[in-house]
Amino acid sequence: MVAIVAFGRESEFLGPVLVAAAGSLYLPQIRNQEWAKVAFNLSNFGLSTLAAAAVHTSLPFDTADSVGLELLAAIPTALTYSTINSALLMPAVAMVTERPVREVAREMWLGDLQILPFAMLGGLLGRLYVDLGAWVVPLFVAPILIARQAFASYLALREAQEATLSTLIRALESKDQYTADHVERVARFAHLVGIELGLRATKLERLRCSSLMHDIGKLIVPNQILNKPGRLTEAEFERMRDHERVSCELLRQIDFLAPVVPSLEAEGRRHEAPNEAPIETHIVAVADAFDAMTSTRVYRRALPQDVAFAELRDKSGTQFEGSCVEALIRVIERRGEVYGAGHETELADFAVPPPVVGTGSAGLGDLEVEERTVRP
Amino acid sequence: MSRLKKLVIVAGLGALAAGALEAFEWGSPDLAVLGAALVASELFELRPTGRAPLPVSFAVAVVLVPASTPTQYALVVGIGYLFAVAIRTEPAGLWDRLLLLAERIAEGYVIRAAYRLVVDATDNAEQRALVLGALAAAAIAPVVVADLVTAVRERRVAPLRSRGADLALVTSAMLMAVGYAGVDGRGRPGLWGPLLFCIPLLAAWYSFELLASTRRGFRQTVSALGAAPELGGLVREGHVERVAELAVALGSELEMSNADLEQLETAALLHHLGAVCLDEPAPGEVHDPIEVARSGAMMLRASPALAPAGDIVAAEPSLHRPPGTAAVLPAALEGQILKVASAFDELTEGQDEHAAWAVEALYTGPGYVYDGRVLGALERVLTRRGLLTPED
Repeated sequence: MVAIVAFGRESEFLGPVLVAAAGSLYLPQIRNQEWAKVAFNLSNFGLSTLAAAAVHTSLPFDTADSVGLELLAAIPTALTYSTINSALLMPAVAMVTERPVREVAREMWLGDLQILPFAMLGGLLGRLYVDLGAWVVPLFVAPILIARQAFASYLALREAQEATLSTLIRALESKDQYTADHVERVARFAHLVGIELGLRATKLERLRCSSLMHDIGKLIVPNQILNKPGRLTEAEFERMRDHERVSCELLRQIDFLAPVVPSLEAEGRRHEAPNEAPIETHIVAVADAFDAMTSTRVYRRALPQDVAFAELRDKSGTQFEGSCVEALIRVIERRGEVYGAGHETELADFAVPPPVVGTGSAGLGDLEVEERTVRP
Repeated sequence: MSRLKKLVIVAGLGALAAGALEAFEWGSPDLAVLGAALVASELFELRPTGRAPLPVSFAVAVVLVPASTPTQYALVVGIGYLFAVAIRTEPAGLWDRLLLLAERIAEGYVIRAAYRLVVDATDNAEQRALVLGALAAAAIAPVVVADLVTAVRERRVAPLRSRGADLALVTSAMLMAVGYAGVDGRGRPGLWGPLLFCIPLLAAWYSFELLASTRRGFRQTVSALGAAPELGGLVREGHVERVAELAVALGSELEMSNADLEQLETAALLHHLGAVCLDEPAPGEVHDPIEVARSGAMMLRASPALAPAGDIVAAEPSLHRPPGTAAVLPAALEGQILKVASAFDELTEGQDEHAAWAVEALYTGPGYVYDGRVLGALERVLTRRGLLTPED
């Protein structure tokens, strides 16, 4: 667009075409020697730009007169460009990806509209270039480069944040494979429920982090206790229980997770109506309970899936938030997935018979109070 | 009140003011629009790493300079900043707000002063290079003042490498001003100019904003993970936080880059994480530090993004040579820094009054020979903090 206005004044078509050609040379494609794509892009950009430049020069008013007209002129120019560009590009994309043209078009038209503000910006910059000379270009390019650099560091940092989460998972793995797998399954269930409930991207992200980190407190439970095959002593049991408090304490240090950390007081009142916590807290609670009920532990066998569903529904509205329970059940049934007794991913020897349903032994939390009363 | 609501209110008031200026013929309605833009842009700050945030409003003030008479400028900037400081969420206290207002007024004043200085220095005020120079001076001036304020308040000057945000602000301000007023009477797009040319600046703002919030989340996640061994009773309370803080101070003293400092800080916060993976030692015994470092480093090295931190953690317990041997250590400076910071905290047990004794012990201690560069940096940092008198 800059090129069209800048060169367009001198009614030269070659300039914009050259610039467009240079802009269309996409480096990875050249490196991978995908010459067909390069050639296609060259001719596509060239044709589109040429047409746009033609429209720009043949407009019935002289854009040199006022800025408003220049900005106005950007609209038909940009539309010409994007129409021709898409007309050529969409069938090609459809051919390469083997999908119907209409579907591709639906995905791409929004992206095409985004060109408008850039075209206006380009038009104005081209005008300044003509009026004031080349030094406006670095003034314009510098902040964009800096923004790009900051954005790149942001992406790198996000990767580091991801790496921190995987470090946590690996730390859990090295202590107790079950907990690590459990955390990843809970994160997956929570994500599915989040999507089912139509959460926005930022909330999904927060949900993912909080579900992956919800058992971080297990890090402080000594390996000997976590992997102890038999019953725990009273003292060991206390240390095991302590992980919930530590998890909450650690997660509350993280500003963006703090609002979704379940409060311990709420945990204590878990048999009353669900509290006012954000939806993410409830989702993690349901996903956690479901996975705990449908996995087999050394001390008890997994429940069948329909029993787990019934248990969730039974406590829905009191311990669990109703919409989360229904969303979880809906999404698992729709996907045709089955968990629980008979469908465990890893089979173990069952030293303990399946528990009686409804006594609270359904693994809500890994060790329920009932376990203690059974202990000799 | 959310930022969106504030923006709507500011836009409404700006429109009202513009109408009043037009109706009573007090001046160009553009002034009211720019004033509203000044207030609105004060709500947006570029927040680069390692230095105080810069408000986007500097750019609007630069646009205002050539567009107004001295009285108009003083009025718009004065009222604008008063209003802006009133609706900002930070700082919390009244006194801090007054200080911020004073700072902004001073910055607004030097913008005009710098511009006039360059314009008055020559006769012909319409040359292209001259206008450009004047605008550059006007755009750089408030950044310098903001830096001075930070230097006085925090006793440090931001290093040259974290100047990206400044550059984005200065170039955008110039472009916006040129876009508004043009040069030599040519190219005067009016309000369209600043409106469209603030887009790159807003893109920069958005990127810095994402970067800052992600950095905070990342830092807190790492530190929560690092605090786990402490809550498990495996490490003295506050040890890793203190070591991380000291290691970063030593790293900056030795002029490490921001990216390296970040890895060093991560490594320091997580250098005991390996302990949670080992079996609990028998009562009265402690973990083997080399085992702890190895298991911690293994977890970090598995992700490319944290592999450098893993290398630092792995190097920490192994980087020593017996006293008396002359061999120079390989230049793993980060590992040496972490080693010194950690040993220092072990010796002082977090008590400031033990600092001088601990430094002495690090120099003469029988166990290891520490890196001289790092020990020198430690002495300088502690002296600056008043924990060490220079003759020690």
